[in-house]
Order: sequence, then structure tokens, then C-alpha cells
Amino acid sequence: MVGIMNPVSREKLASLSSSVKFAIDLGSKLELCRQLKHDLLEEDAADLSEFLPRIFDLYSDPSGPVRKFATEIIGEIGVKHLEFVPEIAPFLITVLEDATPAVARQSIACSIDLFRHTLEKTAIRGLYSSELDSDLESSWSWMLKLKEKIYSIAFQPGSGGIRLVALKFVEAVILLYTPNPNGSPEPPPNEGTSIEFNITWLRGGHPLLNVGDLSIEASQRLVLLLDQLRFPAVKSLTTSVIVVIINSLSAIAKKRPAYYGRILPVLLSLDPPSFVIKGVHVYGAHHALKNALLSCLKCTHPSAAPWRERILGALKEMKAGGLADLALNQVHKINGSVEEEKDDSLLIKEEKPLTKAYDAAGSNVGRKRSGTEDSSDLAEKDEVSGKRVKATPSVSEESTKELNRNITVSQGDISSTQSSTRKVDVDTGPVQQLVGMFGALVAQGEKAVGSLGILISNISADLLAEVVMANMCNLPPTHPHADTDDELLEDMCIVGSDTQAKYPPSFLADVISLSSTFPPIASMLNSQQSVPCKIVIQKTEGKEEVDVVADPNSALAYAGTTHEDENALLATDLPVSSNIVLPGMKIDLPTPSDIHDTGNLESGIPGLDSSFHNDGLSDTQAASSLVSTDIEDASQEQATSFGGKSPLHVLPSISLDRSEELSPKAAVTDSSSLVSSTVTSVVSSCPFVLPKMSAPVVNLSEDQKDDVQKLAFVRIVEAYKQIAVAGGSQVRSSLLAYLGVELPSELELQKVLREHILSDYINHEGHELTLRVLYRLFGKAEDESDFLSCTTAASAYETFLLAVAETLRDSFPPSDKSLSKLLGEAPRLPKSVLNLLGCLCSPGISEKAEESQSGDRVTQGLSTVWSLILLRPPIRDVCLKFALQSAVHHLEEVRMKAIRLVANKLYPLQSIAQQIEEFAREMLLSVVNVDATERTSAEGLISESHKQGRGEDSDLEKSSNEHQSMSSISKDISADVRQSETSHSGSSPSVPEAQRCMSLYFALCTKAIHRHIPILVRTMGLSSDLLEIISDPPSGSENLLMQVLQTLTEGTVPSAELIFTIKKLFDSKLKDVEILVPVLPFLPGHEHFTQDDIYEKVAGIICLEKQILVDALLGFMLGTLFPITFCLVLLLFPHLVNLPLDKLQAALTRLLQGSAHSGPVLTPAEVLIAIHGIDPERDGIPLKKVTDACNACFEQRHIFTQQIWKYPKLWVGFLKCALLTKPQSFSVLLQLPPPQLENALNRTAALKAPLVAHASQQNIRNSLPRSVLAVLGLAPDTQSSSQAQTSQAHTGDTSNSEKDAAVTEKSKESSSAG
Amino acid sequence: MKFRYAMVCSSNQNRSMEAHSLLKKQGFDVSSYGTGAHVKLPGPSLREPNVYEFGTPYKHMFDDLRRKDPELYKRNGILPMLKRNLSVKLAPQRWQDNAADGCFDIVFTFEEKVFDMVLEDLHNRDQVLLKSVLVINLEVKDNHEEAAIGARIALDLCEQIEAVESWEDSIDDIMVSFENKHRRKLLYSISFY
Repeated sequence: MVGIMNPVSREKLASLSSSVKFAIDLGSKLELCRQLKHDLLEEDAADLSEFLPRIFDLYSDPSGPVRKFATEIIGEIGVKHLEFVPEIAPFLITVLEDATPAVARQSIACSIDLFRHTLEKTAIRGLYSSELDSDLESSWSWMLKLKEKIYSIAFQPGSGGIRLVALKFVEAVILLYTPNPNGSPEPPPNEGTSIEFNITWLRGGHPLLNVGDLSIEASQRLVLLLDQLRFPAVKSLTTSVIVVIINSLSAIAKKRPAYYGRILPVLLSLDPPSFVIKGVHVYGAHHALKNALLSCLKCTHPSAAPWRERILGALKEMKAGGLADLALNQVHKINGSVEEEKDDSLLIKEEKPLTKAYDAAGSNVGRKRSGTEDSSDLAEKDEVSGKRVKATPSVSEESTKELNRNITVSQGDISSTQSSTRKVDVDTGPVQQLVGMFGALVAQGEKAVGSLGILISNISADLLAEVVMANMCNLPPTHPHADTDDELLEDMCIVGSDTQAKYPPSFLADVISLSSTFPPIASMLNSQQSVPCKIVIQKTEGKEEVDVVADPNSALAYAGTTHEDENALLATDLPVSSNIVLPGMKIDLPTPSDIHDTGNLESGIPGLDSSFHNDGLSDTQAASSLVSTDIEDASQEQATSFGGKSPLHVLPSISLDRSEELSPKAAVTDSSSLVSSTVTSVVSSCPFVLPKMSAPVVNLSEDQKDDVQKLAFVRIVEAYKQIAVAGGSQVRSSLLAYLGVELPSELELQKVLREHILSDYINHEGHELTLRVLYRLFGKAEDESDFLSCTTAASAYETFLLAVAETLRDSFPPSDKSLSKLLGEAPRLPKSVLNLLGCLCSPGISEKAEESQSGDRVTQGLSTVWSLILLRPPIRDVCLKFALQSAVHHLEEVRMKAIRLVANKLYPLQSIAQQIEEFAREMLLSVVNVDATERTSAEGLISESHKQGRGEDSDLEKSSNEHQSMSSISKDISADVRQSETSHSGSSPSVPEAQRCMSLYFALCTKAIHRHIPILVRTMGLSSDLLEIISDPPSGSENLLMQVLQTLTEGTVPSAELIFTIKKLFDSKLKDVEILVPVLPFLPGHEHFTQDDIYEKVAGIICLEKQILVDALLGFMLGTLFPITFCLVLLLFPHLVNLPLDKLQAALTRLLQGSAHSGPVLTPAEVLIAIHGIDPERDGIPLKKVTDACNACFEQRHIFTQQIWKYPKLWVGFLKCALLTKPQSFSVLLQLPPPQLENALNRTAALKAPLVAHASQQNIRNSLPRSVLAVLGLAPDTQSSSQAQTSQAHTGDTSNSEKDAAVTEKSKESSSAG
Repeated sequence: MKFRYAMVCSSNQNRSMEAHSLLKKQGFDVSSYGTGAHVKLPGPSLREPNVYEFGTPYKHMFDDLRRKDPELYKRNGILPMLKRNLSVKLAPQRWQDNAADGCFDIVFTFEEKVFDMVLEDLHNRDQVLLKSVLVINLEVKDNHEEAAIGARIALDLCEQIEAVESWEDSIDDIMVSFENKHRRKLLYSISFY
């Protein structure tokens, strides 16, 4: 051992340690440390003892990492040379106090290693010699001191992060101090051998260590640990401490099952909701507890057993039931069968959820396990868990037979999951409950038909689709024949309405005859498949109870007995396996006896028929599953007679229905153990009594399933005509979308569906179906956490949407809105679809796009872009880029369309106006200066990336993936545009090129000026500068001038200056009467204009464009005090009438109601007179327009009908109008009070005959008051003449009543005269 | 950088590699792993995934898939992903086989199942060094977009952890502030090497 240190080495170490000390930067220090450590560990003890102080000295380094490293080196030296422990342990104790937590933690990490080694060495040394050397004793005592020091840290509240490691240290010591049941019970034969230390070795005695004492200490420490988790101590702990303690406890419980019983109660009483640290973080502790319980659950030690139920309960509460089941499953797979038997009893309650998993796995365990399912009843009665253990074996044996049914019933659902790569829902949620409900109702027979209907009508289409799907697992392979679809449907209906309580023999006959009606079916069948079809005959059961408890071995004898008893049919569900023997199929029908043998052979448990049945079902060989072993000797002939005599070709659709109805029904009868006792006539036709059988569920091979699924799908697709007639297209759509997405994608169902949709998009509810599929796929892509599924779904989504969009683009006219609608409503628009839209807007940007695309397509694309900008804010930027890209398109047609969109529709949107402006400016600059282009585009890119960066940050939480993918696209596009820009402008830009880039800018300028001028002018007011400009406007600024003038005169009386200026301008420079319009109301007629002038000017106005006319009219109508309104309006009226009806209505309302300033501009009468004054021929106004105007007047009934007749002058006008506008005016005339009506008829005789004829119509006549009818001579009325007189007098007299009105009238007259 | 980081997902392709790539760019000492039995990549359909062993170079997968159906694998983002991956490291590595890679200070997982597997694996190792390791689960959906978001969040968290002297003392505060900031639930546990 003793050697002299190599001088070179010594020198090297010395220099190393001093260079560590004096190295400047941390990196090189640590590197030197590493080297030092490496070299030091090579040295032997003697040399090290000399060198140790220098290393201790390293610890004085100010840098934490160096101190940590020094500690680590010293620790390792200690482990290697335990004789240094008395020196190193005090050092480590000092380091525990280090201000840097990482250094202090390193001390504990070194300590545990050192402690373990010292303990081992002490223990083993003591085993082989009765006395220990003092050095070792001293080392050990130092280690104990170190240990106590660390303990104090572990249990001292608030010692921060170092506490975590200290707690781990406690765990390690507890484990070291307690016997390891899995460790080697005996020490190694000699000191040198290294096997894992086990304190048990010291049982025989040790000079220094006492196993008992150590164990007591461990126990005490454990109590301390446990106390930490008890309330209220737990409240003061941080999450990390709780997590570490929980982890440690579960590790101890697992490794030292003796403590299981002490640890579990504490863990179980831990209340997860109480882990609220600062009100937020509970998950860590909660999850740690869950994992701890799960790992405890996996413990197979007997002392763990009594706790399982409670752990399971707790886990279920924590919503980890599924995981618990999995854990149990693992345990049982690992466990030997003997132990398992024992455990079963304890697991009885929890077994149910497991059954499926086991069955799916098809393991032996599974089969046995399911056997215990029903025995829970027995077990529940047995309250004492200890007793259950004993009870189990017999229980499970006895109950196995009874349980056969349950197993096979559930098998139907499970079989579909057996190919685990396939993803079919096997949830037991609402869908399965509904299936159960349906089953229960169907089982009730015909009386439940009504309830069934109600149930179905109350279920949403989607849910119903899921129910059907869930039930489809039970489908046998079916092969519908295309030609016979319609008939099949009918048949289905018949079968469906016929509840399956019993099927008389006639039904069998029907089936057979049907099958012979459709011989092609048999030939259609895939020759590789044998298709089992089952007809189940609801039978009676008399001695069912006997059967249940009967010794399974006596099944044969039992069958024999019942055979004699002709009246008693004992089977509940009696599936008759029939077999379609296909041409070319070589498999002979296996004789039941063969199968029976096989069954026994395979199951290995006599009497466990179900086991074989299970095997049969899970077997992919359909043939072997055709005939169940449950059909024993007694049924042999029966089976053979069916199979042998005439292969029964059962109609697929029927068997489909059968099994759909059957399996839930069977489940119901089984669970409720209901026994029906109807003896049917089938008995006579079946002389053989068949023993009880399980539900007829046949497991299909993958290929068979695929075929069935595809055929079913195609059938639903094809059935649209029938469904359109019969209703339920909602269900169909749901089903198609669901199936298309959920069934394996190899079947290419989506393609089938797509083809169907696209073959007639409109009539096949293409939009609806497409969206349903898209939403399904989208949901799948979003929901699935699994990379495979979500990528596949996302890919399928894109394919589907793109294919539909492309077809819509190619096969529909551009005016069609389907594409726009689809893109507006699809849940997400992937890049490829957006590219399609981009190509539509800018023909020629990609090679694929057709150059010869018509302008209408561009319009289609742009209007889609426009609607997407409004509808889908997340992709607004991309769509905007499309529009902008088109706005600088090289084809002028495209460019103009796009500019119109951008300038008129998009630019007014505040949120994007800025972007549009920037883009337009950039384009403009690109023409002006190539350098500028490059600079700005670079700037643009930077600012864009900035924006994008910000956008992404803020989106982080929102996780809007649409935006994510989009922003990159938008960058692409703008980069593209700019690139093409730069390349173009590199050479000196041609005129068309300049136009291309500039037109958008100027379009925007126009918009911007028009938008801002009113604000500007209003703010400025009428300054002298402005007046100067107005007096001498630059040429070409007429429109702008008009806008300025309108703004200046809006809602206010213009100043004399302004009026004078305008008048002057009109007289001198601008002969255009249009500029007078804004001030017309204010023109002081007597001073500046004669009446003739005005008429002349107004006549000029009338010649103006319609738009200006309307503006002018509106100006008048806004109630300005215009002295010549009436004349003017009269002159204008023909043009007013020529306006679109809605504008006319508005104008009339204005005229009649006037404004706050003025009161009515025209009275109703004046309006009518004005209309009357229109000569259709002279004024060039279509008669239709005149009529419309009248009707519009008449619609203002409240004004017209009440007032007109009160003014004699107007009355005449009214009547003329009425004559002119008959028959539309009849309804108004008939609303007149009888006296006025009579007067009217007397004055205008020409009205009478047609009006009477009109009123004679039955429906009108019925609605008229008697008095009116009397006036018309349609009803005898004695008083009519006197009434007429009165009315005439009244009508003639204007001055008697309504003085105010008369005054108004007069004033009107005077004003009109003036 | 004080700590050693490991990014773990199931196949060491998408989420862990996205984070690995990002953290690497930021200069972190980072590795990445998968906990699955195999490396599974989407295939033409769910039933036909592309399955590789851990250790198969990304380049190999890239070439394989490009040969099989370049259009499909480009569209669903697999080829671009593999291309990114092969620029980060040679091949996917399995977490359970990484004992030789030394101790990590911080392990990020992106799925609870993976989190549990990492913890279980760590518990099953001989915990003799008593070197604590923080295992954080950040639930991230396994698609390209979410992986990118998840990686940025992971980076943010790593930066916060880096900023403190010892995570053992401040992990609760870091978690609370992180959850308040990102509104995402985190799960963490502490294990030991």
C-alpha cells in the first residue's frame, strides 16, 4: 500500500492544483479540476494523504462550481479510500453549510455514497472478524455524525432546495437499514465478492451494528417522513418537497413491502386538493401521488394485497382508473397463476373494466378473469375479505359456466379491437348505453315500437350515427347486390318493423325463398370467405335455472334429457349456424364432434365451453367459428341438416339486421336473467332440443371487416335517392362523415364519398357533406395527440378539401358561389388550398395555372378573397396579399378588377388600410427608384418580420395554428411580389410597367383625397385662400370643387361671399350649372336671378346626370329655405319619378315630411298633381314608372287618404291620378269614406264601372264595409242617397272645417305663386 | 449554460426535436430522446405507419420516404421535419438506453405518458448519485405547429430556469409564474440519478 509518490506526478498534481487556484476564468478552472480529479483518483492512499489538504484548500475558492467540484473530488477520494473518512466527513459537514446550494447538495450526494460504503465495509468486516479496527470504528462514528447532520436538514422546515437531496438521503438510509426481501439473504462467501448489500446479513450478530437498532431507527425516520405528509405539516411544504417525499415513500413501500401497511394509509389520506401552493400549482404533487399509488398497486407482496381496493378507489377518484386497470393487468401478466387465483377474490369488484382488455388480449389470464366477473355478486355478499380468498376457487369454477354468455356477448364489441392497430371506439359511454337501451326496447317486442321511434327521434343525428357504428361491430360480412338495392331496402323495413320476439317458421321459409330469389348473391361472395349467417329463434326456457347451476360436464346428458321432453325448450337464444358453402370453397363443414374435441383440447378445462367459444371467436378462421361447440351432440343433426341439406343463403341485409338487434338483446336478457316462456311452433319443426347457446357473434378477419365496412359505406352512399324520399338524410350525412373518417383509410372511403359528392355537388348535398367530413377530419387532426393520427388526419383533410375545391373551380361557372362558400366555412384552409385561390386571383403566377383563364375566374377569386377577408380574420393577411398581388398584375383586366376591390372595398377597412397604403407606396417607389425599392422592401421585410414576431408572441397562448402557418405564407407571397418587382424595375421601367405598379397608388390617392377633403374643408372653414381657389379652380378639379362646395354648404347657410364667388365662377368660367346646385336653395332669387333664370338653370340641372340630380334634389329636400321649391320640384318631378322605386320612396318621404327647418316641401296633393302633370310621352317616362310613383304615394296612406279629399283642388288631381293609375288605385279608392267615394265616382264616371267590377270580386267584396258596397251599388242601401248628399256638401265646402288646413293650403298657393 | 437538458417525446422526431433544435440554436447543452419502442412516422394510412428502429439515421428515413412518396411526405411535413432533424443530430435516440449519456439536470417531456415513462425509468435506475433531476411535462399536441409553439415555450422556461442559481430552491416560483404567463398547465417531478 505504501509507496512513494512519483515525483513527476506529485509535481504535476501540485502544479495542477495551484493552477486551479490561479486560473482566471471559470471554464479553465473547471477543466483543470477535471484533470486533477482524473489524476488524483489514480493515486494511492499514502500519496493522497499527503495531498489531501491541498484539495481541501481548493474548497476555499470563491467560485461555487469550483467548490462543488472540489467537494466531488474529495467525496470520491473518500469512497475509494475509506480511511480518509475521519478527515473527509467533517469537511462534508462544513460544506453542508455552503452558501451555494449546489455545493451543499454535492456534499449530501457525496455523503450517501460514503455512508453506504462505510456501512458495507463496517458490516462485512464485522461479519468476518469479531473485532473491528479503530479506524473503521472512527469512520463509522463520523458517518453517523454526518448522517445526523443531514437528517436535521431533511426535517427542518424551510431549508430550501438542499432539503430535497437530504430527504432522498433519508430514504437511502432507511433502505440500507432495513432488510431487502429481494436481496441476497446470505452474505457473500468472502469479503471480496460484490453483491448488493443487505442488512439481513447482520442477523447473526455484529460487533458494532445491531440489526434491531438499525431497524428501529429506520422506522423512526420513516415515521418522520410520514409525518411530513400529514395535515397540517403538509400545508407548509413546497410542491417539490411533497413530490420528493411521495416519491421516496412509494419507493420505500415498493422496495420494503414490510412498510407498505404504514405508508399506504398516509398516501391514501393525502388529499390532492389540499396541495394548493400559493393558490396555483397542484398538479405536480397530485401527479406524483397518482404515480406513487400506481406503483404501489403493482406491488405483488402479500402485505400489499389488502390495500388494493382502497388504492383503486383512490385512483378512480383521481380519474386514473384506466391506468390502474392497466397496472393491474401488468401485474397479473407477471404473476404466477397460483398467486393470481388468490388475488382474484380481492379484485372481483374491479374486474369489470378489465374484462375487455383481457378479452382483447385473448390471453389465458383474460379468459379466467372474465370468469370472475359475475361472481362479484357472490363476493359482495361476502363482506370479510379474508373469507373471499378462500371462497374464490369454488366461486370461479362454478360461475364460469354461468358466465359464458356474458363473455361471448361482450366479445362482439371486443372483437373489433383485437387488431390493435385499428382504432375503433370501444367506449362504454353514452353510445353503449344507447345500444343497450335499443336492445332492451327491441327485446320487448312489438309493443316497444313506439318507444323506439320516440327514442330515435330524440337522438341527434350524429349520436345516432355513432350508435349505429358502435353496433356495426356485430355485423357479419354482407354483400349487397347493387341491382336489388331497392328491394333490399324494402325488405329491411319489413324486417326492422318486425320485432324479433319470435320468428315463426314462415320467416325461415321467407329467408330461404328470398335467398333463392337472389342467387347472384351467393356468386358475388368472395370465394375465400365463408359467411356465417345466423337466424336466431327466440325460444323458451323452462329449466334455465337448472342449466345455470348444472355441472358443465353433464351438458350432453342434459341435452339428451331435454330431448325427451318435447314440450320444454330450454334454450334462451338459439342460434342456428348456417353456412353458405361457396363454389370453390374446399372447407367442409366441420362436424360438431370435431369441434367439440378441439374445444376441449384447446381450453384444457373440461366443461369450460365458453373458453372454446372464445377461441373460436377470436380465431380468424371463420370456418371454425361457424359452428359453436355449444351445439353439442343434440344439436348435431340440426346443424348438419341446415348445413348439409341446402346451404342456407341468407340475405345479407337481413342477417345484418338480425345481429344488430340480437346482441344488445342478448345482453339484456343475460344481465336481467329474464326468462321468457313462450312456446312457439318452431318446436315442432325442430324436433331436436338445442342446448343453451351464446349470442351469435362471429369474429371477422381483417379483410372481411374491410369488405363489410366498405360495402356498407358504399351502400349508404348509394342510398341517397331512397333516403331523400324516406327522410333521414341528416343521419345519412352524419354516418357518411363518421364512417369516412373513422374507418381505415385504406378502404379509400373518403375517395368514394368525394366522387359521390362531386358527381353532383348540388343535388348530393355536396357542401353539407364536404363540411361534415372536413370538420370530422379537422377535429381528429386537432384532438389526436398522437403524431401518426393527427398527421394522417391533417393530410386527409387537405386532400379532401383540395380535391373538392379544384373540382368546384373547374366544373362550375365562375359566377357560382359554391367555392367561396366552401372556403368560407371550411374549418381551416391549408396552404395548398390558399395557393389555389392565389392562382385564381392572379392567373399566370404558377406554371400550373392556365394562362387562358378568363376574367370571370379572376372576379370569382377576388370576390372569394373579399369574403374571406371579412369572414376569416386569421388569414386576412394572406388574402390581402392575394388581392394586392392581383392589383399589380401584368394583365390590365386583372389589375383593374383587383384595384376596384382594393380601393373600394378593402381600403375602407381600417384594420388593413395601412398595409394597403404601404404596399401601394412601395410599388410606386419601385418605379421611381430602383434603389429605393430595394431599400424599402428591405425595410418592409424587417418591419414585417417584426410584426410577425410580435404576432407570434401574442399568439403563443392562443396557439392559433392557422395564423402560424399563414404568416409564413404571407411572407412568401410578399417576397415573391417584391422579387418580381425588383427584377422588373432593374431595367428602366416601361410605361405599361410603370402603370402596372402605379395604378393602385393613384386609385388609393383618389379615395384618400375624397375621404379627407370634407374633414379638411370643415376644419379649415371658408378661408380667403380657399375662396381664392374656388374662384379660380385649376382645370380638371371640377369634382373636387363640387365636393368642397358641398361640404361648405352642408347643413349651414352659406355666406354671401361664397354664394357670390360661385355665382361669379358660374358666370365667368364654369358654365356648368352643376356647381350651382349646392347653393341653389340660397340663391337670393330676386336679386340675382329672375324666375326665368332659375327655370332655365333648373332645366339645365334636369339635363344633368342622374346622380347629380339626386344630389340636387336631396339638397332641396333637406329643408333649405328655397323659395321656388315647388316649381322646381314640379319641373324635376318627372326625373324623380324615374328614379328607382326605393329612392323614390325616400324622396317622397322627404318631400312630404320635410325637415326641422322647413316643414313639408310639398303637400300630398302637390305630389299627386305633380305626378298627374307627367306626360309619359313628352317626358320620356315609362308609364310603369308613373304607376309606381302613384303606388308609392298611396303607400303613404296616413298622409294621402286622410287629407286629399279635404282640398278641392287636390281632389281633382287625385281623381285624375286615380284614373290614370287604375287598377292599382282601386284599393285606395275603396278605402275612401263612402261620401268621398261617391263623390269621386260622380265626378269621374269612367272610374265607376271598372271599380265596381273590381269590388265585385268575392274576396274583395267580403272585405268591404257595407256602406262602401252600397255606394258601389253592390248592396241595397236606402240611406245611400242622403249620405251622398252630405258627402258632396262636405267635399265642396272647404272653408267650414279644417281652417288650419285651409290656411296651409292658401299659404302654399301663395308661395307657389311667388 | 449551467444545466444539461434533455427533450423527450415518444419518437424523438417532432416535439423533442423541435425543442432540441431551438435550444441548440440558443446555445443550450441539450439532448433529445424518445420513449417509444420504435420510431413511428405516418405512412399512407394509419394502418401503415413507417416504423424504424431507434438509431436509424434521420437521413436514412428521409431518403426512404422520399423514395416512397415524395409528394405525400412533403405535404404532410414529414420530409421537412426529417431534414430539420438530420441537421440537428444523426439519429433518434431512446431515453431508456441513455444511461451512458450522463446525468441531465432538466428533462422536458411533451406528453404525460412520456413523462410517466421517464419517471418510471429514472426510478428503476439505481439512484446512487443522489443527483437531482427535474422532470417537467409540458403537454404539447403532436403536430408540427404545436410542436413549434411548444418548443418556444420550453425555451422560455429553460431560460427562466437557467436564470436562477439552483432550481431546487425556486422551482415552485418558476412554475407559478410560468403558468400565469402562458396559461398552460405544467407537471413536474423530481427524481434522482
